[in-house]
Amino acid sequence: QQQMTVSGTVTDSNGMPLPGVNVLVKGTTQGVQTDFDGNYSIEVDQGEVLVFSYLGMKTTEYPVTNVDTIDVVLEQDAAQLEEVVVTALGISREKRSLGYATEEVAGAEVNTAKEGNFINSLSGKVSGLDIKKSSTLGGSSNIIIRGYTSLTGNNQPLFVVDGVPISNANTNTANQQTGRGGYDYGNAAMDINPDDVASVNVLKGAAASALYGSRAANGVIIITTKSGQKNENIGVTISSGVTFSKMDDDTFVEYQKEYGAGYGEFYETGYFDSWDVDGDGTDDLVVPFTEDASFGGRFDPNLLVFQWDALYPESPNYLQATPWVAAENGPESIFRTGVTFNNSVALDGGTDKSTYRLGYTLYDQEGILPNSRIRRNTVDIKATHDFTEKLTAGVTATFTNTNGKGRYGTGYSGTNIFQSMRQWNQANVDFEAQRRAYFNTGRNITWNYADAENGDFSPIYTDNPYWQLYENYQTDERNRLYGNFNINYELTDWLSATGRVSMDYYGDFREERRNVGSNGVSHYQRYDGTYKEINYDFLLNFDYDLNEDINLAGILGATARRLDNAQMRAGTTGGLVIPGLFALSNSQNLLTPPNEAVTELHTNGYFASASFGYRDFLYLDATGRVDEVSSLPEEDNTYFYPSISTSVVFSQLLDTDWLSFGKFRANYAEVGNYAPPLSVQDVYASPTNFTTPLYSVSSTANNPNLKNETTKSWEVGLEMEFFQRRLGFDVAAYQSNSVDQLMPVTITAATGYTSRWVNAGEIENKGIELSLHGSPIRTEDFEWRVNANWYKNESEVISLYGDNKNLQMASLQGGVTINATVGQPYGTIWGTNYTFLNGERVINPTNGRFVVDGTPQVIGDINPDWKAGISNSLSYKDLSFSFLIDIQKGGDIFSLDTWYGYATGVPANTAGLNELGNPLRDPVADGGGLLLEGVNPDGSPNTTRTQMSNYANAIGYGYAPNAYHTYDASFVKLREMTLSYSLPESITDRISMADITLSAVGRNLWIIDKNIPYSDPEAGLSSGNIQGYQSGAIPTAREYGFNVRLQF
Amino acid sequence: CSDDLSSVNVDTKSPTEVPADVLFSNATKNLFDQMVSTNVNRGIFKMVAQYWTETTYTDEANYDLIGRDINGAQWIILYRDVLKDLKEAEMILNENPDPTLSEANIQNRLAMIEVLQVFTWHVLVDTFGDIPYTEALDLENSTPVYDDDAAIYADLVVRLNGAIDQLEAGAGGFGGGADYIYDGDAAKWSKFANSLKLRLALRYANVDDTKAATMATEAIAAGVFESQDDNATIQYQASAPNTNPIWTDLVQSGRKDFVAANTIVDVMNELDDPRRDDYFAQNLGEGVYKGGTYGANGNTQGNSTIFGEIFTDPTLEGVILDYAEVEFLIAEAAARGYITEDAETHYNEAVTASIIYWGGTEAEADAYLAQPEVAWDESIWLERIGIQKWIALYNRGFEAWSTWRKLDVPELPNAAQSGLPVPLRFTYPTTEATLNGDNLAAAASAMGGDTQQTRVFWDLD
Repeated sequence: QQQMTVSGTVTDSNGMPLPGVNVLVKGTTQGVQTDFDGNYSIEVDQGEVLVFSYLGMKTTEYPVTNVDTIDVVLEQDAAQLEEVVVTALGISREKRSLGYATEEVAGAEVNTAKEGNFINSLSGKVSGLDIKKSSTLGGSSNIIIRGYTSLTGNNQPLFVVDGVPISNANTNTANQQTGRGGYDYGNAAMDINPDDVASVNVLKGAAASALYGSRAANGVIIITTKSGQKNENIGVTISSGVTFSKMDDDTFVEYQKEYGAGYGEFYETGYFDSWDVDGDGTDDLVVPFTEDASFGGRFDPNLLVFQWDALYPESPNYLQATPWVAAENGPESIFRTGVTFNNSVALDGGTDKSTYRLGYTLYDQEGILPNSRIRRNTVDIKATHDFTEKLTAGVTATFTNTNGKGRYGTGYSGTNIFQSMRQWNQANVDFEAQRRAYFNTGRNITWNYADAENGDFSPIYTDNPYWQLYENYQTDERNRLYGNFNINYELTDWLSATGRVSMDYYGDFREERRNVGSNGVSHYQRYDGTYKEINYDFLLNFDYDLNEDINLAGILGATARRLDNAQMRAGTTGGLVIPGLFALSNSQNLLTPPNEAVTELHTNGYFASASFGYRDFLYLDATGRVDEVSSLPEEDNTYFYPSISTSVVFSQLLDTDWLSFGKFRANYAEVGNYAPPLSVQDVYASPTNFTTPLYSVSSTANNPNLKNETTKSWEVGLEMEFFQRRLGFDVAAYQSNSVDQLMPVTITAATGYTSRWVNAGEIENKGIELSLHGSPIRTEDFEWRVNANWYKNESEVISLYGDNKNLQMASLQGGVTINATVGQPYGTIWGTNYTFLNGERVINPTNGRFVVDGTPQVIGDINPDWKAGISNSLSYKDLSFSFLIDIQKGGDIFSLDTWYGYATGVPANTAGLNELGNPLRDPVADGGGLLLEGVNPDGSPNTTRTQMSNYANAIGYGYAPNAYHTYDASFVKLREMTLSYSLPESITDRISMADITLSAVGRNLWIIDKNIPYSDPEAGLSSGNIQGYQSGAIPTAREYGFNVRLQF
Repeated sequence: CSDDLSSVNVDTKSPTEVPADVLFSNATKNLFDQMVSTNVNRGIFKMVAQYWTETTYTDEANYDLIGRDINGAQWIILYRDVLKDLKEAEMILNENPDPTLSEANIQNRLAMIEVLQVFTWHVLVDTFGDIPYTEALDLENSTPVYDDDAAIYADLVVRLNGAIDQLEAGAGGFGGGADYIYDGDAAKWSKFANSLKLRLALRYANVDDTKAATMATEAIAAGVFESQDDNATIQYQASAPNTNPIWTDLVQSGRKDFVAANTIVDVMNELDDPRRDDYFAQNLGEGVYKGGTYGANGNTQGNSTIFGEIFTDPTLEGVILDYAEVEFLIAEAAARGYITEDAETHYNEAVTASIIYWGGTEAEADAYLAQPEVAWDESIWLERIGIQKWIALYNRGFEAWSTWRKLDVPELPNAAQSGLPVPLRFTYPTTEATLNGDNLAAAASAMGGDTQQTRVFWDLD
């Protein structure tokens, strides 16, 4: 056979040249791509066949004869456009036929730059998705799709992995979720191993999720894991990565370095206590140890004072006065570089009848605080087998084992070392010296002695942070198994039956410790929880062509869900006897009974759907579902809800050059929702026994007349693709109204209760979502792709319970509350405000302070105005680079950290110079003090400077309104950056490997812009409805690392 | 399948029916805890009465009721955790009593519940003024109107009289240790009810002297406390969480939040009071008592006198009404001419009872009373009773504050940092403004404002 060179030009049906078309010699790996002008040239033997392929075009084959020029016209391929997505109940559908919005994220986008909590890696990638990452190690991520629809219930979406609905429960304590302390154990969906994810599909609206029933009222995140392929050789993938985490300075408090311990000039010698420390008979200058503030004496290296490290015998400064200077090693010295290893191996393959994939991943993360670590082992298996032509079956199973140790304490508690670091500290305390003090003595040597003068060296408020981290650490373990067994039988060529049993089971064991010698009563507490959910699904699927033009497809199905939940918390009473022994039996006093909770929930669902398709152009879908649930009153526990949607692929009707695809979609849907278990019948609460047993009327009244709540929504959308899909957009507009909300409303205690379950209230959400994608530049070797998304959701509380105008969701420290208020967006922050005169803040001219309006009122809104994500990816041959900018505009957050911190004089902006160039902290009479912007009550500009020389200043919690500490939570973040290089095939082929990819990745690298000082605007409390509040905020870790992926 | 469904929605860990006893016990415990506690999040009456002041964080001593929702704690605990359980216990006794109980026993139990309800209601009125009463404790009415404080008091007197009539000595009451105050002794409850009536009678002094005189006369005639053995107390236990709440805050917490205020220390120093070594520790040296300036910064447990050792005893009994108070009330009623008893005798007995209760002796009491600044003086009886009752009520901040509001003795200075005068009532909890705002606004308007300086009806200017 004769070798010859064939060349030519590839164009589309309009004669436009197509660059980047793959030209392959059929049956070989030999091939080229067309250049920018659509030209190609290839060496080929006569008689061979050239295959021209291009995304969106029909693949076309040309046999090589003796002609050396082959010009090719590629036609648009409707079939190629038929992107298939997984929809509710695991049903694959052509995306073009869907009358609702779905958005897909490829696996590579979540498993290249990995997050410990994989949910975070969706941030900025899907419009309509509001994700708030927690900064704590292994913490929860709050995820809201298209706004909060439930006033007090769960607003998190349903997670479904390969058809298995898996729990995303947050089992943090109520105290943790309201900023009063405790650990953030994350949300259960974080067990999903990013390495196993093939794709993520987000079902946003009720129409998309209606078939899942009640629990999908907040949208669904469908995860498809990787699987093997039929007729493939064994494939081995090894992925290995290391990531380093470093604290982002922009998210931590910067200390002022001019003044030390004290609340003001209140002590025996003014700024210092005075007693005889060294026993020489004369009184010494002593730091006021009990005062956890930095409004004390100005630093002066010539002034020698007795500091905390002069009072423990092992100290190098024992009984010695030392210079009064700012700490050389501030609180930031406590952070370390966290190292995370992620190693995985997967084998996949298949025969002509079977596929399989086996995977193992070890994820091992060290936090940025000492003694913190989370390890997660994941083993998973996925297999299918065709027993006959008609009978196929599959099984998936994932086992995860997660071990945590030293998760960071959260909220307003000594367990959270950031509480004191941000709010209550002395700028003279050297944290390196604190570290030495703990490690050299093994004791809780604090800077905050209770009563040193009288020999009481225990901490009055704050433990040595190293003692806290090494003695009072928590540990936890979760073992989880989820998976399904499914079997499918083709009854006829248009009818099949599917049976599926899926299960999610996990057990949690958590231990929390406070050793003897700590501030507060020593304590040991354990939590044991088990969660089990089993779903039995039976579906009949039909897909029938009525004639050439009309297709009818649909489902009839039934599902039964059985959920069991058991939790127990038990703790010691009155302290521990033997130090370091953390066991219930080591309790000082008789144990108080543990807190037990056992709940069951059974639901039965019956559903049907029908889809009509006309000439691959017009689609019409209708669904209906009936749910019967155990948690509603027996006589009223069944409810029905429908959905209808349509899709019109109008590009089928148009014959234009520029339009590659165009679709209009619209839908209306209702989804019912049920009450949580045990909210129908009243029971008595059991307080701890006194000398005899005690019972009490519950503080929450249940309600035997509850019924289901309903969300009604409509949505319209338009998808268009242009210029051979070089440019495209998807825009959606929606509105949802959730009515008859099931909720425990807060009622006045004058009723004898403080809350009551009712059906009442309505929330409306409406919004616009826009995503854009384009390839501004595409040549043979180089491509620049841009994906951008933007969305805006507006919520409004339409009504509440009875005449009530406000539903308080949480009352938080600092006097602020999070509320749902009629006429306001869901989630307003209420607190004290400025007094305004013509829009200006009114200042009291006698003391220069704000005139505070003490009536609680709306001072903030937790919801962002809009969010956006822009990702750019640039690829040149085998090298690719991409980065993601994540933007939030608006949303408010109250900071308890500055609320207290400004009163204790810890942060940098409580010192320094005022506008006259004088020290802020100097007396006002001497030109010091702070000039607050505002007007006097008569409208003239404020000219009175206010004192900043002690804790009772105008900007701390004593005299500032809550509004002063409520910040705009806007941000612009460089969220993700990856640089990858795949070795060319010429090299991999030679060493018999399929692929070698090296990548450098970074996450949370840079907060480009934000408004809240000293913290990350994303840092909050926990996942759930209580947002917009920071207390002891945990700094954000920047992560950067390297991955190697080898495929054989 | 439906049957199966409803059967799983059952709380297998909590009861749907309980006997009245456990609710009565719980209400009693919650009432005492709230009256006794000195926790800065719920009961700051030791500060309000200026017995103690705070060290590092001085907000509560400066009468910030809002920052820690102290007014909210008082409101919620008394309504929800005391009154509701009492009402539920009453309902169970009326509708579904233990069939083994005699009718007289049930009536006694109901009367005991009634006495505690009256006690709790009067504390609520004294704290806030107008409050929801006639429409309160009704789940179906989540916006109850606020009733006039004087009208509530009038009804409380009627209810208390009813309970007094209903109590039948010897017929028993709550048994099995469920009655933490008197262990089911109806005769003791009768004395408690009459002593409470005497207290309420004297709240009416100056407002309605006739009513005050009638009530005082009736109460004394029917029998009030005759010794400290009659006191309304609860015996706290040695181990957490059943200790005296004061121990929890002073000892278990490891905190050093409080020192004695100069207000009381100075007065007791002036009078050379024999109770000083019980009320206070001698942490500054033997015989040295120096209170921290009330509400000021810079007070520490190193530079100020602290509380006596007895307050660190977890088993210290909690008291809501005692013999010394009753004797002071009789003395006052006599001094006001409501009754014909000898005011001086009862004044002396009150002071003596207090001194002995706190560990002093008859001799100390006699010597103390012999001092011209202490000895009874009819012409300045108000000041004598005012000062001595204030000293005697040292561990009962709420009653001390209420008595002070009525007698206006001693003079209590403004808090040093905030400059605020002692509150004359608590402002309504901030949450009430959002939960029942219209009714709150109407009450505030009726009372002349929702401020700390608005007066309850019996506190005349």
